[in-house]
Amino acid sequence: MSAVATALRMRGISKTFPGVKALSNVNLTVDFGRVHAIVGENGAGKSTLMKVLSGTYLPTTGTTDIAGVEVRMRKPADAQRLGIRMVHQELNLVPDLTVAENVYLGRMPRKWGLADKAKMVRDAAAILDELGAAIDPKARLGDLSISQQQLVEIAKAYAAGPRIIVLDEPTSSLSEHETAALFRILRKMKQEGIAIVYISHRLKEVLEIADDVTILRDGSMIDTRPADGITAAEMIRLMVGREVTNVFPKTPSEIGAPVLKVAGLGDGYNFRDVSFEVRAGEILGLTGLVGAGRTELARAVFGLARVTEGRVEIGGKPVAINSPAAAVRAGIAYVPEDRKDDGIVPSLSVRENISLPVLRKLSRFGRVSMSADRKLAESYTKDFSIVPPDPERRISLLSGGNQQKAVISKWLSTNPSVLILDEPTRGVDVGAKAEIHRIIGELVAGGMAVVMISSELSEVLGVCDRVVVMRDGHASAPVERAALSEARIMALATGEEAA
Amino acid sequence: MTDVPIQMQQGTANERFRSGSPLFDLLSRGGLAIAILAVLIYGSLASPVFFTAGNFVNVLTSMAIVGIVVVGMTFVLVVGGLADLSVPATIACGAILSLALQPVIGPVPAFAAAIALAGFCGLMSGLLIGYVGINPIVATLGVGTIVLGIVQAAVGGVIVYGTNPDTAALVKSRLFGIPAIVLIFMAVAVVGHFALSRSYWGRWTIATGGNYAAAEASAVPVRAVKAGAFVITGLCAGLSGALLGLTLQSARPLVGTGYEFSAITAVVVGGVSIMGGFGSVPRAIAGLVFVQLLTNVMVLQGVRTPVQGFALGLLIAIAVALDVALRRRAGGAL
Repeated sequence: MSAVATALRMRGISKTFPGVKALSNVNLTVDFGRVHAIVGENGAGKSTLMKVLSGTYLPTTGTTDIAGVEVRMRKPADAQRLGIRMVHQELNLVPDLTVAENVYLGRMPRKWGLADKAKMVRDAAAILDELGAAIDPKARLGDLSISQQQLVEIAKAYAAGPRIIVLDEPTSSLSEHETAALFRILRKMKQEGIAIVYISHRLKEVLEIADDVTILRDGSMIDTRPADGITAAEMIRLMVGREVTNVFPKTPSEIGAPVLKVAGLGDGYNFRDVSFEVRAGEILGLTGLVGAGRTELARAVFGLARVTEGRVEIGGKPVAINSPAAAVRAGIAYVPEDRKDDGIVPSLSVRENISLPVLRKLSRFGRVSMSADRKLAESYTKDFSIVPPDPERRISLLSGGNQQKAVISKWLSTNPSVLILDEPTRGVDVGAKAEIHRIIGELVAGGMAVVMISSELSEVLGVCDRVVVMRDGHASAPVERAALSEARIMALATGEEAA
Repeated sequence: MTDVPIQMQQGTANERFRSGSPLFDLLSRGGLAIAILAVLIYGSLASPVFFTAGNFVNVLTSMAIVGIVVVGMTFVLVVGGLADLSVPATIACGAILSLALQPVIGPVPAFAAAIALAGFCGLMSGLLIGYVGINPIVATLGVGTIVLGIVQAAVGGVIVYGTNPDTAALVKSRLFGIPAIVLIFMAVAVVGHFALSRSYWGRWTIATGGNYAAAEASAVPVRAVKAGAFVITGLCAGLSGALLGLTLQSARPLVGTGYEFSAITAVVVGGVSIMGGFGSVPRAIAGLVFVQLLTNVMVLQGVRTPVQGFALGLLIAIAVALDVALRRRAGGAL
């Protein structure tokens, strides 16, 4: 690679937006052949810093050196020319093109002025092979699973022969199994001398892959340390500026009669013959690899997707759920996986989002009672300490964790007996995560039945009373809390232990 | 909005969460009011006729017919239904039936039947769009063409004349100097405004336009809400057409041509988002007032028709560009 050991040196970077100082005097040094993790709560300034590094934002003050040369990047193309490649959380791929076309998007090999498709497919196959990804370069991208698409995105960055690769939450859509595969790829890139900037909320993964860790809080750099000498608890303390004693507090609760019973449910494609029951006061975990059919199952139970077989019972009585409205009537609530797509209406206020499913009940002669509407939102913003505590704020202006609390509020307003939470803490920071767990704990203590879908094993182990593991659309028998271990869940999820 | 810090004390929350600069806030809230004021001042200085009661009554009267359609069209844009291009057909339906049915069933039932049938046309479009999932432009264009064809065939392609002069007198009558037709428009606007901003149906309409998937997952009957916007527009256009027919005491099948674009222009200039999820009836009417006053000034100043068209076209382009820019400013998430 290069004789210079330092790939990137950012000094005194500040970025001010109207009314917000997003970054203040941040220093960051990344060496070639090392993985440098950046951790911090949502809003700590990670994304802004990466946008400066990728040329999207021009910093208000500060300098950036790439391989020892001071550079000034005004647009993403400048950063790319300097060998900086971003792998974004939201994938920047074209679903209707093939894998190979996506890998070489914008810089296809040419022959006599035309795209040389044969060479492109050959090269893409070689790259994917090198990365150990078993993906057909001629497959249509849209037909791949999200985790495979993630690998294509990484292959695309890698194919450009970068000096620095920036990965923003690369594992948020990957199961633990696929994460291990990703780490193998990162280690390989590291050996080739590529500098890797790794942004993640998942501290365990950070400790596993990173050589150095930089902690950001409220736009300022708190510290940079070698990953060897730091623990997750210490990172959390530095991130939030206070000690978080128990990441997964488990509130004891009394377990009662079965509330929701799913018997032999299937949609003929994503999941089949799934049976389980959830009891009052219980948190049932639903885990498995991404693509195992968990979300599809939850959407079907909530009436957002059709089923072809089986039945759903509430309180011992079978119910026909063919729409979310019917599910709400039956006492089922569902906090969806994708907050941005299914959870919030961004143009409405927090108040208007919270009351959406119960609007009719708050109305007389078609007119929404403003006082009832306000009272509802105010009680939840207070109980769940939604920040800022202003129900009239447009929900899109809130951080991820606070949006999630508002979405949970929205569903509690329907007064459900069963609450299904699909990855409720994905993409939220440590503080908000603990608070969401506390809220869930209070709900089950109050006798609610909770189904929690999660890919994060430590969360599943920490919070759930029983766990059902899904694999290829089939559900395992529930595993009791006492018999739970990471190894057991992984064995069930990967099929090493028969369900 | 990952750039906005969340860990903060309550005291600083307000300033740190503000979306933009004071100038930006002023422009997005009061830009149209300033523009209307500017046209009023310019018009008063440029033309002696402009700032007179007579001229304003003229403007109001010509505004009323399209204004009723604007109220309906606001629902269509807010729900994320792009636009209703069947308006010329539903207006023709209202105008022709309200006159043609008079000798058969009497003026009042004819009036009601005309509006009901226009609403039925809206229902057809709405079902195709909301339940079948056809693109609104294609669906309303198709339904509009079919309806216009049927109406033309029914009246034999000729002009229909009124048979009851009393009805014309009634529509043209004035209360405190304000034409009845203007009063009807105002009533429709007030009802429309409250329906959109205060009723649960209105909130559902905004939510469906703002994020269809999230509204659906929140137990909002999104298909019915989407279809409903087109029924509302159908009813409004029917009413508008019936009033137009009674005013003119004659109606030809092409009587409604151009109203769809006037209505869309007004709504878009009013700052209602063409992408749905944001907008109100007063905003759309402010857009209509601005466009009407501008047109009026141009007419009084003797600006040639092609130039007028050019000016209005430019206005739409600017309004839509501004909408997109404001969304980007709001973090791309509004």
